[in-house]
Amino acid sequence: MTPLVIGLIVLAALLALLAIGTPIAFALGFVSIAALMIVEGTGTLSILGETFFGGLASFGLVSIPMFILMGAAVASSPAGKDLYLALDRWLNRVPGGLVLSNLGACSIFAALSGSSPATCAAIGKMGIPEMTQRGYPKEIAAGSIAAGGTLGILIPPSVTMIVYGIATETSIGRLFLAGILPGFMLTMLFMAWSLYACGRRGIGLSSVTERFTMAQRFEVLPKVLPFLAIIVGILWVLYGGVATPSEAAGVGAVFCIVLVMVIYRLWKAGPLWRVLRDTLKESVMIMMIIGASELFSFTLSSLFITQSIAAWIGDLEVNRWVLMGVINLFLLFAGFFLPPVAVILMTAPILLPIITQAGFDPYWFAVVLTINMEIGLITPPVGLNLYVINGIAPDISLWQVLRGSLPYVLCMVLGILLLCVFPEIATWLPGFMMG
Amino acid sequence: MKAYISIVSAVSRACGVLAVLLVAIAALVVCQMVFIRYFLNGSTVWQTEFVVYSLVAATFIGSPFVLLERGHVNVDLLPNMMAEPARSIMNGIAGLFGLAFAALLAWSGWIYFEEAWTYGWTTDTVWAPPLWIPLLPLPFGIGVMCLQYIAEILRPFADGNPGAATL
Repeated sequence: MTPLVIGLIVLAALLALLAIGTPIAFALGFVSIAALMIVEGTGTLSILGETFFGGLASFGLVSIPMFILMGAAVASSPAGKDLYLALDRWLNRVPGGLVLSNLGACSIFAALSGSSPATCAAIGKMGIPEMTQRGYPKEIAAGSIAAGGTLGILIPPSVTMIVYGIATETSIGRLFLAGILPGFMLTMLFMAWSLYACGRRGIGLSSVTERFTMAQRFEVLPKVLPFLAIIVGILWVLYGGVATPSEAAGVGAVFCIVLVMVIYRLWKAGPLWRVLRDTLKESVMIMMIIGASELFSFTLSSLFITQSIAAWIGDLEVNRWVLMGVINLFLLFAGFFLPPVAVILMTAPILLPIITQAGFDPYWFAVVLTINMEIGLITPPVGLNLYVINGIAPDISLWQVLRGSLPYVLCMVLGILLLCVFPEIATWLPGFMMG
Repeated sequence: MKAYISIVSAVSRACGVLAVLLVAIAALVVCQMVFIRYFLNGSTVWQTEFVVYSLVAATFIGSPFVLLERGHVNVDLLPNMMAEPARSIMNGIAGLFGLAFAALLAWSGWIYFEEAWTYGWTTDTVWAPPLWIPLLPLPFGIGVMCLQYIAEILRPFADGNPGAATL
């Protein structure tokens, strides 16, 4: 059997196991070790424990539980509500202020929490009822939050980007920088669409804003600024070359917990336990997939599957943009069914050699890949954000959420196209800051 | 069968508490390390390894708890679309594959641990703790996860409602 045929069998087995509902980590691990044992003999079982353990025991991975801890601390507190209030009070003079401040709050909260569903829940709980109450259409209220929430995995610090950095051995600092301008661009596109959609429905944008005094505006700042200081602090530490992402994440996480305890007086054992428990669940889930994908990529390269696929695609001599288009469609499709972290871990070891061979920048590709994953979060059948919105705003039907989100999906596709035409949107900032 | 499920679930919960403590300690040690390294300009000997191994241990020891809480993410689209008994059969098969992998991992982890123990291996750093200590959580945690997996596969039968299985 040629490596390509073995690769196809492995892929088919993996898809079958995933389809019947086997947890992703175990399906990936089972297929990998089974393929190795069948092709190379049962003696290879001994490498299983060593590879799995070795894949997890690295200081770079420490940043994942730590950033998750930071996000869980912030998400457990009413910080999302205050962030929202603050932006609303400062942006109320801007036409369409409420939608815009929601989107702005989403992008800032996204940076803090690094999680898309958490962003949707935190901003949406407050933002959606407020928007519908002030007369914005339900579709726009729900859609803008669903889309704004997806920014969580693009705007740094982002766990998804860290996972990409680890899977592809690229610099996490550079990846974070690459995500900033595209994150900003998507926020702008979302805002532009929201303004247009409101205007088209004849919603008098100035009539749905409220007036606030300067005192009211300053009153909300003390609760919000410390969190913003933490993000700025983390990014400064990373790009000043002062500390590694893991160190920055650990300190950031402890700072956030302390801030939440001080500002929101959450120093009872109950809330703290919930923060730590949620962190454990999320990080164990991700770390198990990382360990299994370590095994998966080990198997694929031991059986020469990775190399054969790269060589095969190289021999096809297709236009590199056709190749990129096909890869995007494939990722988009995978993102419809699988969570971002799983898609990245499973595909990165195979796709990266192909991408670099075709002359694409791995940091630029990280951004394109992440936006693809964002689309998967707000499209059926397993668009996590849609269900989060449906959960927090039960009076808006899933269909309305879906219809409201669709234009934002098109904004993201436009974003990917813009990135293809102007790759500098992703590559300029890392180049400028890090050379 | 019910007694088995409740005992194993209690053990998994205890594992969850232990894993949560490991995560919390790791976060504090990162801060201590940063403080010594960047504010006191001192050198750190054990912190990096301690943090890495605590979090690896938390992953393995926390794994049975996460299984109990259904936190190991899967794609349940197809099983949920199925009618009974197809759904239960599908869940059962998925559970058996998950259990098979967990058993292989626990077994292989045990062999790795045993070697480290027998030959007295240490990690190759200045601190050089015995390697069996960070290796032990792998067979232990994943071993408990195997027991929890069996409990999850049995659970629908114990409840007298095989259709309710959602592995």
